[in-house]
Amino acid sequence: MTDIPRDVPPPSALPEAVTPPASTDSLPAMQLTGLVKRFGEKVAVAGLDLTVPTGSFYGLVGPNGAGKTTTLSMATGLLRPDGGTARIHGVDVWTQPVEAKKLIGNLADGVRLFDRLTGEQLVTYTGMMFGLSRDEVATRTADLLRIMDLGEAAGTPVVDYSAGMTKKVALACALVHAPRLLVLDEPFESVDPVSAANIEDILRGYTASGGTVIVSSHSMDLVQRMCDHVAVIAQGRLLASGTVDEVRGTQTLQDRFVELVGGRHHAEGPQWLRQS
Amino acid sequence: MVATVLKIRFRVLGNTLSRSAMQLVGFIFGVLGALWMLLLISVGLFFVGMLDLDIARAAVTAAGAVLTLGWVIGPVFAAGIDTTLDPAKLAPFPMTTRQMMVAITAGGLTGVPGIATALGALATFLVWGRYPVAAVAAIVCVPLGVLICVVASRAVAALAAGIGGGRRTREIIGLVGFALLIFASPLFIGITNGLVSASEQGVQLTSVAEGISWTPIGAAWAVPGDLASGSWVSGLLKFLIAVATLALLWVLWQRSLSASVVAPAARSTARRRSGSLGWFGVMPSTPVGATWARSLTSWTRDFRYLRQLLLIPFAPVLVLLYSRGDIDGPFFAASGLLVGFFAGILPYSDVSYDGTAFATVMQTGIRGRADRLGRMLGSATVSIPLLLLADVVTLAIAGRWELLPAIVGGSVGLTLIGLGVSAVSSALLVVPTPAPGDSPFKRVPGSTFSMFLAFFLCWFLVAVLALPTVIPALIAVFTGSTSAGWLALTVGLVWGAVVFALGVLIGGKRFDAGAPALLAQLRTFRGA
Repeated sequence: MTDIPRDVPPPSALPEAVTPPASTDSLPAMQLTGLVKRFGEKVAVAGLDLTVPTGSFYGLVGPNGAGKTTTLSMATGLLRPDGGTARIHGVDVWTQPVEAKKLIGNLADGVRLFDRLTGEQLVTYTGMMFGLSRDEVATRTADLLRIMDLGEAAGTPVVDYSAGMTKKVALACALVHAPRLLVLDEPFESVDPVSAANIEDILRGYTASGGTVIVSSHSMDLVQRMCDHVAVIAQGRLLASGTVDEVRGTQTLQDRFVELVGGRHHAEGPQWLRQS
Repeated sequence: MVATVLKIRFRVLGNTLSRSAMQLVGFIFGVLGALWMLLLISVGLFFVGMLDLDIARAAVTAAGAVLTLGWVIGPVFAAGIDTTLDPAKLAPFPMTTRQMMVAITAGGLTGVPGIATALGALATFLVWGRYPVAAVAAIVCVPLGVLICVVASRAVAALAAGIGGGRRTREIIGLVGFALLIFASPLFIGITNGLVSASEQGVQLTSVAEGISWTPIGAAWAVPGDLASGSWVSGLLKFLIAVATLALLWVLWQRSLSASVVAPAARSTARRRSGSLGWFGVMPSTPVGATWARSLTSWTRDFRYLRQLLLIPFAPVLVLLYSRGDIDGPFFAASGLLVGFFAGILPYSDVSYDGTAFATVMQTGIRGRADRLGRMLGSATVSIPLLLLADVVTLAIAGRWELLPAIVGGSVGLTLIGLGVSAVSSALLVVPTPAPGDSPFKRVPGSTFSMFLAFFLCWFLVAVLALPTVIPALIAVFTGSTSAGWLALTVGLVWGAVVFALGVLIGGKRFDAGAPALLAQLRTFRGA
């Protein structure tokens, strides 16, 4: 896994520094086998199998509490599974964590950043943690802050950023070591439409150059538009997976999702809430 | 509305206790402690009541003043103020600020400390029972005194949290207030010590209490006694002082509360110029360097870390007070050792302060050894220079320069050993901490009794491991032996470095195996 040729030309939206190394192997970018996680009595993830092909733009959707974040945490080495394995390009996350994590760029949801650092310091810190050389860290940090429109705010502590800016700086941190797989948990939450479009361009360029992206989202429209593959998870189980067209058939993804997951009400709400 | 809020408060307490057995144990210990204090107070007051009226007046006033001060200072040291009824949480409900304040005050009165204070204050009737005028006055003044306690503690906390506009200003004021309060209590101990020794020398304790009785903290408690002795005018004046105190505290609290509810946590405009990397530009571009730089940035910029550093000047002051101001004695000269002890154990649960940002550390796949080393170097870079400064200053004041090798050796040894123990303990243990920028007065829920036990275990371990260097250092201090001093220096540096290195290696192994469990636990803490 160490000798990866870096000869793929970079796509326009992505600066050369953060272009992922192209993959030459046929192993899937991510392979989850029989993942299980229990929290006390509650089974959060119940034997989940999922294969994410290299180069795909993979959407992970499911209702609240479906186990998306738990699954992604286990797949990226943040939460130890009770059973099953997670492999990233063939590297087992839980037996070779250091090697596996070098391949992953992770934007976790519901965790804080070291928000007393400035945006520039935070990205630099992350680059240094991956052992990049000082010059490389400086170039990549400058590139990333520029494409995330954070140049103005580079010297501001992250604690004073808006929610959307915080997402963007976290994404910059996830990209700085040029990972082969990006795992993004709710990347578009509270990001303004312009920034979202910019981020989308970056991600498209990244997959076009051979990188793999997994996004979890609540927005079916977004997944249908952006992703080429999708998996539907509910109650810790995989309900459907495949290319977006395979999963949705003739319906919209939204309708297909509701059909799979259930729980849609057709009521007008309680009487007392009606205003006239 | 207030009744509803109180019901919620007890519901929350009940749920917390039924969720965790260890928290129940801690709660029971708290209740037992309060009962014990109450018993002591009642017995004491009963006997005081049999004595001379003047002594009884002085005792009740002094005890009341200590109690009031305790309500203001206590939260800083112990667990912080109960935030079950936090103004920010009550804000969405249709309540006026006044209703909110009544609810919070009632919540404070009905907590364990509030009930204990009320019962203790009622025990003053054991004294006033024999003076009908005083007893009647106490019916008004005892509730007044208790109310001042509760309102003062809430008002001071709200003020400390709410003054100033920007985040930075607020944090600096919080830190300064915190420092003042920390040093207020040793000063208070010092004054008490002074009083005790003065009264042994024949100075009337009662005249000091007379002075306190005119201050806002003592006035309410002094009124019944004044009336009992027939000093109607002074009794009335003190009553007015007490009422004015309560009114002033209430107004100050109301102001800061309405300000904080409407305009919480303003954004600061402070920024650095881009390209200014701070410590990140200085340290080598490796995982250890990155962790070191981040840790050092926290120790110098994050107020939660800065608050811990206050322990370093605090230790010699504490020693001075307990040795009753004896600057020339051996205890003050050796106080650098206490500083070393505190300084090493500071990062005993360093990962806790990361909060869920610890996920960022884990995502990089850093090896445990590198993480441990970076964190401990960060802590040492701040604490060892401060420690050496404290050593030199205390020795200069004591005029015992010949002890320099002994004290430096012993204290640096203690710090290195403390860091070694911390390197292991912080890979095993996380405790709930305030979020960055929180008020120092805020209590962080989720601490359990076992966490306190773990903390004391760390202290104990450091104390035992440090014996080879502390013993020669103490021999040097007490006998003046020069060779013991040099022995302390050699052993301190060598043995300290060995324990430090072992701590990093063992802690690194534990970290590699246990980091996901630490993150999982950090996620369970509220506000992390």
